Amino acid sequence: MRTTILWLTATLALHAQPTIAPTDEKVGEARGQNIGNYNLVQSWELGYRFHSVGGNEGKYRSDVNYGNGIRLLGSRFSMKSKEGHGSLFDEMTLSTQGLGNDPYEYANLRIAKNRLYRYDMIWRSNEYFNPALAISGGQHGMDTVHRLQDHDFTLLPQSKVRFFAGFSRALQQGPALTTTNLFDGVRGDEFALFANVHRRQNEFRFGNEIRAFGMRLNWMQVFEQYREETPLSLGAPSAGANATDRTRLTSYGSTEPYQGTTPSFRLSLFRERGERWAVNGRFTYSSGNRDFTFSEAAIGVNRFGAAQNRQIAVGGNARRPVTTGNLTLSLFPTTNLTITNHTAYHLTKMEGRSTYTEINNSTLDLTTVNFRYLGIRNISNVTDAHFQIRPWLALRGGYQFSAREIKSVEQVIIEGFPGENRSQQSNRLHAGTAGLRVKPLKTMLLAVDGELGRQDRPFYPTSEKNYEGYSARLQWRPGPFSLSALARVANNSNTTTLFAHSAKSRQYGADASWNPRDWFSLDAGYAKLHAGTVTGLGYFQAAALVTGQQSIFLSNLHSSHLGAHVSLRERIDLYAGFTLSRDAGDPNRSIGTVPAAFAAVQVFPMNFDSPLARLSVKITPKIRWNVGYQYYRYREDLLAVQNYRAHTGYTSVLWTF
Amino acid sequence: MVGSKTLGQAVFWLCCASAWASPQYVGGTACKTCHPNITVDFYRNPHYQSVASGKEKPEDTGCEGCHGPASDHVTAKGDKTKIGAYSAMTPKKVLDSCLRCHAESLGRASIRRSSHSQAQIACNSCHSIHKARSAKYLLASTEQRNLCYGCHGNVRAQFALPSKHRVNEGFMTCSDCHNPHGATAPGTGMGGRPRMMQTALGNEEPCMKCHTDKRGPFTFEHAAGRVDGCSACHVPHGTANAKMLKRPAVFTTCLECHNGLGDFGRQGDGVKLTPSSHNMSDPRFRNCTTCHVRIHGSNSDQRFLR
Repeated sequence: MRTTILWLTATLALHAQPTIAPTDEKVGEARGQNIGNYNLVQSWELGYRFHSVGGNEGKYRSDVNYGNGIRLLGSRFSMKSKEGHGSLFDEMTLSTQGLGNDPYEYANLRIAKNRLYRYDMIWRSNEYFNPALAISGGQHGMDTVHRLQDHDFTLLPQSKVRFFAGFSRALQQGPALTTTNLFDGVRGDEFALFANVHRRQNEFRFGNEIRAFGMRLNWMQVFEQYREETPLSLGAPSAGANATDRTRLTSYGSTEPYQGTTPSFRLSLFRERGERWAVNGRFTYSSGNRDFTFSEAAIGVNRFGAAQNRQIAVGGNARRPVTTGNLTLSLFPTTNLTITNHTAYHLTKMEGRSTYTEINNSTLDLTTVNFRYLGIRNISNVTDAHFQIRPWLALRGGYQFSAREIKSVEQVIIEGFPGENRSQQSNRLHAGTAGLRVKPLKTMLLAVDGELGRQDRPFYPTSEKNYEGYSARLQWRPGPFSLSALARVANNSNTTTLFAHSAKSRQYGADASWNPRDWFSLDAGYAKLHAGTVTGLGYFQAAALVTGQQSIFLSNLHSSHLGAHVSLRERIDLYAGFTLSRDAGDPNRSIGTVPAAFAAVQVFPMNFDSPLARLSVKITPKIRWNVGYQYYRYREDLLAVQNYRAHTGYTSVLWTF
Repeated sequence: MVGSKTLGQAVFWLCCASAWASPQYVGGTACKTCHPNITVDFYRNPHYQSVASGKEKPEDTGCEGCHGPASDHVTAKGDKTKIGAYSAMTPKKVLDSCLRCHAESLGRASIRRSSHSQAQIACNSCHSIHKARSAKYLLASTEQRNLCYGCHGNVRAQFALPSKHRVNEGFMTCSDCHNPHGATAPGTGMGGRPRMMQTALGNEEPCMKCHTDKRGPFTFEHAAGRVDGCSACHVPHGTANAKMLKRPAVFTTCLECHNGLGDFGRQGDGVKLTPSSHNMSDPRFRNCTTCHVRIHGSNSDQRFLR
């Protein structure tokens, strides 16, 4: 027990670099107020955030996004029945973060009464800002709010017959920028547009679980509804992105009302008693359906200077039924041996029909009916065995076989000229895994794993084909000291007659923490993530096909962190730490014969550093005053206009009782 | 008559001897004597539900519900070897013990074959029953991510990069996408990857739970996402590249697949090559998604132009 506590204590010290607020609670163990049959524990942290940015504020908002203003930085509230027999509930817990106007807001509520019901709610909001400078030259910027909520209610949670009901909602809305290509699909010009993003998803679900004969039967019916209306508009007449082109757009408007539902059903049958065997079976079926219409009206001039007055109308629907089944059988022939076999079946069928009508200069130019079918069927079987040879030594091994079939039908019906294109592809994978677990000391665990896989026909040039991966982990936790180390190598070679894709990644890292006293802890870590890929290229340059070149990408990421926590006489808490992330690239790389534009993005030298300090002072037994400061520095070589430095801080009062 | 009496006596004494030899349940009161720090506020622990019920059998409630019968432990004045101490159990024993009650959750139905179980990461590696720092799920840390980072330092490094999911900021948790108790379905990729994933509707990738606009169905789907999953183009934890792409520029992300090689994609068709009008010397054509704005899927255009 003591060892476990020491391990846990050591784990606690392995803090991630925290965001600057809210403050970690330092309020001692036993507290709270007894009111009737309940015990109440609360903490509320109210404060003010401030920030100052030098450099690219858009990039800062994309990466960090903390602003100015008063916030309820964090709160925790719990109310628990002392005898487990409350009148309406036995437990109520609420925790929040960032309420007020932080870019990342979160609330979590649980209300439960033993044996009768349990209700869980999660609400969160993410203020998403992206200037998209590196993607489309800033033409796809977004400033939206994404709000998510999940409600789950369980009736009779501890009984043999349980009932479930739930509701989830996702809402994204806000202004954005986008682009459109007009008047010639492959040689047209791009025009910047405004978009008013509005996406809404609702999900309703209900189900039941029955326990009988040592088995559990669980089913759930879900109805998902999705609706999107994102009208696009042109602010002012535009000459487009291509200055050398005569294409102009004087008027534009488009909208695509898009909605549908995805009812789905899940049936699970499982038994897990830790005896001689366990089984887990699952079947799911969902039938997604979306209806849409699209209307676009554009007036302008094409690249030959001819006046354009074009309307496009599209209507149709898309369906995607998905059927899956899984069966896992676990056997425990002896107390030291576990064998599991898992079989999975996954069938996705996508089919859509859209009628496209283009009216150009008041003339009906083209009406087509597009039909597309894409079917993916995947069958997998995995067998794993784990054998505990000695209390300090265990072996594991496994084998996986997967077979995938992909079929597609594309059909374009132009009046009087129906055409059909059918194709299919099959792919098989054989993979084996092996591992070793050694516990030379009671406080030390060493795990070594390997995997070797072979596929005959992967779908993409960058997919895994002939791959192998090896990893080793060490965990050593002697007393207040804790060390965790990792080394991992993964190689993939996807070679064909013309092109080859080769990917190699190596990851090394170690994290250590030292927690000798309650009032002092120190943690530090370093990770090196190396990735290198070489992929065959085929593209056009001045209408000439270029082959034989390679796309190279090299990343040498060094990430380190250090944090120290000191408490002085249980009155003052000080935390100071930093995180440094640096991609050094590889200045000695072989660039090859690619053009400068390709060579420039073979590496991405970048620094992202963030030191922080936080001070918390106990004013009274129930009140603390906190202040914190965090600095961010971002610098890259590829698009230096994105660089920034930011000072962020907060001061707050934490009230606990 | 004498014989049956003798047999009865023998059975009686055998039962007594057996009862004497095996430890007995003594009830939680005895535990309070030496472990007051644990029992004083145990009502705050979700495991108190079995005590409050008052209807459970001795082996299913209170301290002995998990630690086993304590008579020998009490008689031996607290000898750790006479009680079910989790610190001394093998990971499989811990798993067996907890699953006696906690197998009830569908989310733990695949725990036996999970990567964590195979790596000998048992329940008490992340959960702390008596020293929990989070009220919900009795985690051994106030933040779930700290537990995960304890072993997954490489993932921690990815979340420290500028373009990432907001896990460190508290907006998300690792278990929004992963099931630490083992996935119920294999990943969408061929190698059973990604592993330990939660699933959205229809065993979809968990990405679709939040990124609902990418779900479709669309008349024209970008098959990359459906066949190999979102990670065909994106790095899910974090990266230095914008939009969490695998490459710092869009055009290399696209061209590494769209090189026109017939061996891939749909048989005999290949992954399509860019048209000859796309002059890569012209910067316009290196911003692929400026025209192919509906790259995740479109209802109107098979080239994802609208």
